[in-house]
Amino acid sequence: MILAQLTVNGRPVSGQVEPRTHLADFLREQLRLTGTHLGCEHGVCGACTVLLDGVPVRSCITLAAACQGAEIQTIEGFDDDPVMGELRQAFSREHGLQCGFCTPGMLIAARDIVLRVPGADEARIRTELAGNLCRCTGYRGIVRAVASVATAERSAAPGAPAVTAAPFAEPAAARAEMARFTVAADRPALAPVAAAAAPASSGEEKGWTTFADSFVIAAAPEPVWRMLADFPLVAACLPGAELTGHDGRTVKGSLRVRLGPISAAFAGSAAIERDEAARTCLVKGAGSDGASRSRTRGELTYRVVPEDGDRSTRVLIDVRYNLQGPLAQFSRSGIALELARRLLADFAANLNARVSPGGQAATVPAARLQAGRLLWSALWAWARGWFRSGKT
Amino acid sequence: MGREDGVGGHVLRKEDDRFLRGRGSYVSDMVLPGQSEVAFLRSPVAHGYLRSIRKPAGSDGTIFTYEDLTGLNSIVSECAVPGFKMSELPPLARGKVRFVGEALAMTVAPTRAAAEDLAEQVEIDIDELPAIVDARASRATPAVRVHEDWDDNLFVTLNYENGFEAQARGAKVVVKRTVSLARQTMSPLEGKAVVAYWDDRADQLIVYTSTQVPHMIRIGLAEALGLDEGRLRVVSPDVGGGFGYKCVLQPEELCVAWLALTYRRPFRYIEDRREHLVVGAVARQHHYELTAYADETGRLLALDAEIMVDGGAYSSWPFTAGLEPGQAVGNLPGPYDFRGYRCKSMCAATNKPGFLPYRGVARTGVCLALELMIDAIAREVGREPWEVRHDNLVAQAQMPYDNVARKHYDSGDYQKCLRMARDKIDLDTWRARQRRGEPDGRRIGIGFASFCEQTAHGASVLASWGLPVIPGYDEASVRITPDGGAEVRVGVHSHGQGMETTLAQVANEILGIGLDKIRVIHGDTGATPFSTGTYASRSIVMAGGAVINACRLLVPRVEAIGAHLMQCATATVRYEDGRIVGPQSSTTLKEVAYAWHRRPDRLPPDCDLGGLEATVSYKPKVDTGVFSYASHAAVVAVDLELGHIEILDYVIAEDCGTMVNPMVVEGQTLGGVAQGIGTALYEESPYDENGQPLASTLADYLLPGAGEVPSVRIEHLQTPSPYSEFGIKGVGEGGAIAPPAVLFNAVNDALHDLGVEMSETPLTPHRLLAALERARSRTARTEPA
Amino acid sequence: MKPAPFDYMRPRDTSEAIAALAQGGGEAKLIAGGQSLGPMLNLRLARPKLLIDISGLEALRTMDEESEAWRLGAAVTHARIEDRRHDFRGCPLLPTVARDIAFRSVRNRGTVGGSMAHADPAADWPLALAALGATLLLQGPGGDRQIPADDFMAAAFTTALRDDEMIAAVRVPKFSPSARFGYFKFCRKVGEFPEASGAAVFDPETRIARVFVGALSGAPASLPGLARDVAERGSPAVTAEAVLAAVTAAAPTLSIIEQRMHAETVRRALRQILPT
Repeated sequence: MILAQLTVNGRPVSGQVEPRTHLADFLREQLRLTGTHLGCEHGVCGACTVLLDGVPVRSCITLAAACQGAEIQTIEGFDDDPVMGELRQAFSREHGLQCGFCTPGMLIAARDIVLRVPGADEARIRTELAGNLCRCTGYRGIVRAVASVATAERSAAPGAPAVTAAPFAEPAAARAEMARFTVAADRPALAPVAAAAAPASSGEEKGWTTFADSFVIAAAPEPVWRMLADFPLVAACLPGAELTGHDGRTVKGSLRVRLGPISAAFAGSAAIERDEAARTCLVKGAGSDGASRSRTRGELTYRVVPEDGDRSTRVLIDVRYNLQGPLAQFSRSGIALELARRLLADFAANLNARVSPGGQAATVPAARLQAGRLLWSALWAWARGWFRSGKT
Repeated sequence: MGREDGVGGHVLRKEDDRFLRGRGSYVSDMVLPGQSEVAFLRSPVAHGYLRSIRKPAGSDGTIFTYEDLTGLNSIVSECAVPGFKMSELPPLARGKVRFVGEALAMTVAPTRAAAEDLAEQVEIDIDELPAIVDARASRATPAVRVHEDWDDNLFVTLNYENGFEAQARGAKVVVKRTVSLARQTMSPLEGKAVVAYWDDRADQLIVYTSTQVPHMIRIGLAEALGLDEGRLRVVSPDVGGGFGYKCVLQPEELCVAWLALTYRRPFRYIEDRREHLVVGAVARQHHYELTAYADETGRLLALDAEIMVDGGAYSSWPFTAGLEPGQAVGNLPGPYDFRGYRCKSMCAATNKPGFLPYRGVARTGVCLALELMIDAIAREVGREPWEVRHDNLVAQAQMPYDNVARKHYDSGDYQKCLRMARDKIDLDTWRARQRRGEPDGRRIGIGFASFCEQTAHGASVLASWGLPVIPGYDEASVRITPDGGAEVRVGVHSHGQGMETTLAQVANEILGIGLDKIRVIHGDTGATPFSTGTYASRSIVMAGGAVINACRLLVPRVEAIGAHLMQCATATVRYEDGRIVGPQSSTTLKEVAYAWHRRPDRLPPDCDLGGLEATVSYKPKVDTGVFSYASHAAVVAVDLELGHIEILDYVIAEDCGTMVNPMVVEGQTLGGVAQGIGTALYEESPYDENGQPLASTLADYLLPGAGEVPSVRIEHLQTPSPYSEFGIKGVGEGGAIAPPAVLFNAVNDALHDLGVEMSETPLTPHRLLAALERARSRTARTEPA
Repeated sequence: MKPAPFDYMRPRDTSEAIAALAQGGGEAKLIAGGQSLGPMLNLRLARPKLLIDISGLEALRTMDEESEAWRLGAAVTHARIEDRRHDFRGCPLLPTVARDIAFRSVRNRGTVGGSMAHADPAADWPLALAALGATLLLQGPGGDRQIPADDFMAAAFTTALRDDEMIAAVRVPKFSPSARFGYFKFCRKVGEFPEASGAAVFDPETRIARVFVGALSGAPASLPGLARDVAERGSPAVTAEAVLAAVTAAAPTLSIIEQRMHAETVRRALRQILPT
C-alpha cells in the first residue's frame, strides 16, 4: 500500500492505495465522489475525465499513486465555476444529456474546449469532443451547448489557460512549385532484415491461421536434420523457450513471449513425429497461459531439403495454429508476417551460429525479439488489435 | 395541447440538474457496509464439455461454480410458437459451455481487483467441440449441435405467405439481392450492474440492478430463486443507457441475488467494458435473401424473402429467440402497399452470446433489406429512387391500412413525409452538384429510406407467442400530496427518455399542477405499480395513458371535496388548472389536499374513499400498436481512394403522433440516428472460425463520436393516433432504424455506375475498397483486349 | 478490468530509474504518461512486477532550443508541443503532428518518449521523427548513446532499447526556411490510430528529401527512391502509379487494398508539399 496525498476539489485528502488502484477508483470508492464514471477503463470513452493540475485527463488510466501532490478537480468540484455554470445551463437547454452517464466527463472536456479554443466552430468542437463518447444524444445538443458557451470573448475568462490552442487550419496543397534539387547523401540505408527468408505466404483455413516460410542453414541436410531432433538445442535457439522434459516423441516446456509491455507464459506439450525417409517432421502442440487463461493449439511441419548442392540446407516450414481466450479476442491483422519472418530469421541465425565453427557463443541475443515460436504470430494479432481496429 | 407545461410543451428536463452535477445515482455508485465485490471467470472457448473446474484450496465462500448455487434455477424462456425449441441458460455453466464469455465461476473478494486475482487461480478443463459460428452454415452441419437434445440448430422457423404466387406471376421486373448485417453490441456507456443485500427489517431481498424492467426482473428473479415475490424488491436507480440490453433477465443478476440471499450481506457486480463487448455481442446479425417482383414503373407487386437470424446460444427471458425472426417477418413489408408476400424466417443457435432485443428490434435489418430493394428496383426501371418509393408507400387515403403481413397501420401520411424529406434535403440542388462532379474527385450520393414502426403493441400481438410475461395493462398511481403537489408512480423506467419530465407534463395537462410540484417516481417495485417496463417504444404511450387515466379519476373526487368546501353542488363545479371553479367562487387543489389530509372535519360525509390517490391501468383502445413513421434522407461524399464516407447532410421527416415534448422527441431520434450510423459504418463484433470474438476493446469496436455524427435536421408531422390518449405514438427506437438503409442507398447512388452496390454492414473503408477493386477487375475482364 | 498487482516507485532521478530497471531484469517497466501502458495494465495484458514512474523527473520534461535542433525531453507531453509553448522555428511539423494524436486528455498525459518506447506501428511519433531525421538520446547503466529515430524501432512494439535503458530525450534537427513538410494520416474515426499514414520532408537548401509510409506491420518504411525522384522532378514524379510502386516495394506483404490505401496517404502527404 502507498499513502496517496493529494488535493481534491480544493481539499487535501490522503488515503492508502494499492499501487494498482487507478485514480477513478480512488475517487469513487475511497472518497465516494461517484460523479466520475467508468465507461471503459481503457482510456477511450472519456466518462472518467477529471482535471489533473488544471488539465483534463483520463482518471481510469492514471494511477492514484502517480497523483502524489497533484490537484484534482472532479465534477463535484465545479459548483462555483462560472464557465461550468454556463455549460450546465447550455447542456440542459440544448438537450445535451439523456442518461447522464457520459455527462460529467463530457462537461469537463467541454469546459476545457471553451477555455482553450475560444470561438471554436462546429467542426473544431466536434473534433475536440472526439475523446468523449455519448451513446444517447447523437451529440447535436452537446455540440450546440459547447458552441453557445465557447464564444470568442471567453478568452478573458478567469481560469483560462495561459496558452490557447493554435489555429486549426488544415495544411492545404502547396501553391508554388518547390525548387528542384539533388538529394544529398543521407545515412546509408539499413540492410534489409531476414534476407535469408524466402517470401512467406499466409492464409486462413477453416478455424486455423496458417503460414508458410523457409530459411537456409549453412550445413548439409543430414546434420541439420539431426540437429532439429536435438530438442535442448532447438529450444536454446528459440527465444523465450524453456524445455522441462522430453523423450523421443514428446516435449514439455514453456514459452515466455513478450511483445512490448505484453507478456504471457504458455506452458504445454507437443508430440513430434519425424519421418526419417522424407526428412519431414510434424509437431503438434498445445499450451495455455495460466494468468490470461488463453489457450493455443498448433501444428508445425518442417521439411529439410538440400540447397546449393548439398552444401547447405533449406528448411521449409508450414504452420497452422489457433488461439483462444482473452489473448485472442482482438481484431486480427495481416501484420503477423513481418514478425514471423523476423522470428524465423533469428531462429535460423541462432542455428547457423551453432553450425558455424565455434559458434556456440555467437547466438543472436534472444532478447531482441522477445516472441516465440508459432505463438508469436497469434500473439501479434491480438496485440495489434488492441491498438487498431480490424481491417475487414 | 392547451397548456404551456402540458402535453406538447417545450419544457426543459427536470432530471438534468442531478446529472449535470455528477449527482446521478447509478448502481455502481452504491457502497454498502460489508459489501463484497463479485467477478466472473468466463469461458475462453466457444463450445465444449466442461470437464472440471478446480478451485484452489481454502476457497470456500469465495469461489463458486454451478454446483455451489443450491436452489438457484436456470433461465428458461417459454414460447408457444409451434416448433420452438427451448434452451436452458444456467446462471453458471453446467456441463457444457456454449459461447466465449459464458460465466464458469464466480469469485467474491473485498475489491474487484482481488476478485479478479481469485478468478485467475481457478483451473478449468474444457473438452473442445467444433464451434458453430455461422448461422447459415449451422444448417449444413447438423452433427454439431449447440443444444444436444435438439435435432438441429434452429430455435424456430416461421413461414408466412399471403397472395405471393398470384402477385408475383407476370411481374415485368424481378430483382434479387443478398443483405447481411454484422453482429453488434448495444454498448450503453454504463454496463450492467447489480447490488444485492438482505433487509432484515423488511424481511426482503433487495436487488439494485441496472434494468429497464424492474417489475419483470422481480418476476424472473423470484422464480429463479424460489422466493415469494413479496420478499423481493427490485430497484433500478439511474441507469446509464439501456437500448434493450437491460430489458431481459441476466444470469449475473441471478448470481448476485443468490449470494445476498445465501449469505445475508451485500454483494456488488459491475460489468466492465471488455465483458460487455464479449458477452454483449448480441444484436443485429441477420442475413437476407430477397426477390422483389415489380411492374415496369417500379410498383412493388410481391416480395419473397428468406431471413436467417444468428441467435447465439441461448434464448432470452422473457422475449425469447423467437422475437427477432418474428419481428423480421412481420415488419419486412414496411410502409409499402403491395399484396404478395412470402417469407421464411429462421433463428439459428450458434456459439455466441444469445440474441437480445436491441433498439429497433429486427427493423433496422428489415429496413436496410427492403430499402436496398426499392432502390435496386428504381435503378432497374430507370427512375428516381425517391419517386419509386413514393409511389409504393401506403397513401393517406388508405388509412387505416391492413398490410400484407396483417399489420394494422393506424394513421399518417407516409407520402407527404417522404416529400418533406426530399424538400428538406434539397434533392434537385444535390443532383445538379452530383452531375457536375466534385473538384476533389469524391463522389456524391443521395439516399432515402422510409419506414413505419409499430410502437406500444400489447397483448393481442404478443399473447399468441406464449411468452413468460406478456404486456397488457400498464399501471400508474397518482397521489396528491398534502400541500397540493402530486406524486406520480409508474412501473416503467426512464433512463434517458426524460420521463420524469414528460410524465409530469402529462399529469400537468390534466391536473394543472406546476411541473416543479410533480414528482415522477419510477424504478422501484416497492414504490411503483406494475408495468412490464420500458421497451418497444411503449412507455410514453402506456405509462402516459395510465397517468392520464389516474389523473382523470382524481378530478371528480377533487371536485366533490371542492364543491363541499365552497358549499355548492358537485354538479355545478368544474376542475380547471388546479382550481375548482363553482358558480360564485372557486377554491384550489391545495385547499382540497389540505382538507383531505389535515382537516377531515371539513370533508363531505359521503366523500370517495379512494381519497386523493388513484392507481389505475391503461391500454390503448386498439392494442395492435400505434405506428410512428419517418423518412430519412442523406447526402454522402465517397472518397474512392481511401474508402472514406463523409455524411454531408442528413435530414429526417417524422411523425410520432402528438409530441409530449418536442425536445425530447428530437433527442430520442438523434440518439437513435447516431446508433444507426454506428450500425451502418463502424460497429462490428467479428468472430473467428473457432468462435473467438475479435473485438474486446473500444479500439476494436468503434462507437461513433461527435466527429462521425452529423448535425441532423428534423422536421415533424403530427398525426394523432386514433387509438391512444392524446394521439401519442412511441418514438424511442425509430431513429436507429433507417440510418443503415439511407446511408447504403446514398453510397450506392454514388457508386452504382462503377458497378458497385454495397449490402453488408458495416460499410468500412476496406469493404468499400474491396468492392471497388472487384468491380475494377470485372470491368477489365469484360473489356475487349 | 483491474490490473494484476505490481509494485510502484518514483525514482529521484534518471540514474535511480536506470538502476531500478537493471534490477528488475525485464520485469520492471517505466511509466510516464501511461496512456498506452494504462489500458494494457487494466486489461491484464501487461503484468510488470514493478512500475517505475518517471513522469515527475524534471530533467525529462524540458524543451530546449539548440542552435541546430530542438531537444525534447522524453517526458514532454504531446499537449505541450501542440500548444506551441515554443515557436519550433525550423521544425513546424512538430505541433502539427502533436495536435492530431488521439484526444486532448490523452495528449495531456502522453509523452514523446513513451510513444517512441512503446513503438506502436501506427503511432505518430515513430513516423514523424523518422521523417524528420531525429535522434534519440538513450541512457543506460553503461552510459549514454544516440540512435537515429528510424533505426530505433525494430518491429512492432520492439525497439533498440535494452531492458536497462531509457529514452532521455529526442533531438529534432532544424530545417531551412524553404523546407516543406507533409503529413497525412487516414483514420476511420477522429482520434483513432490510422489505417495508413505518410510523411514527407523536403529541404532544398540542405538537399534533404525523405518520404516515409507508416501504420505498416512494423516500423515506418522509407521510400528513398520516390523522395529522390520528387526532389529532382517535382510534381510530375508524384503519380499514383509511382507512389504505389514505391509503397509496394517497401511493404510487399500488404494486401493490394492496403497498398493502395497507404500509397494514397503518401500521395496526399506529398500534395501538401507540391502544387498539383
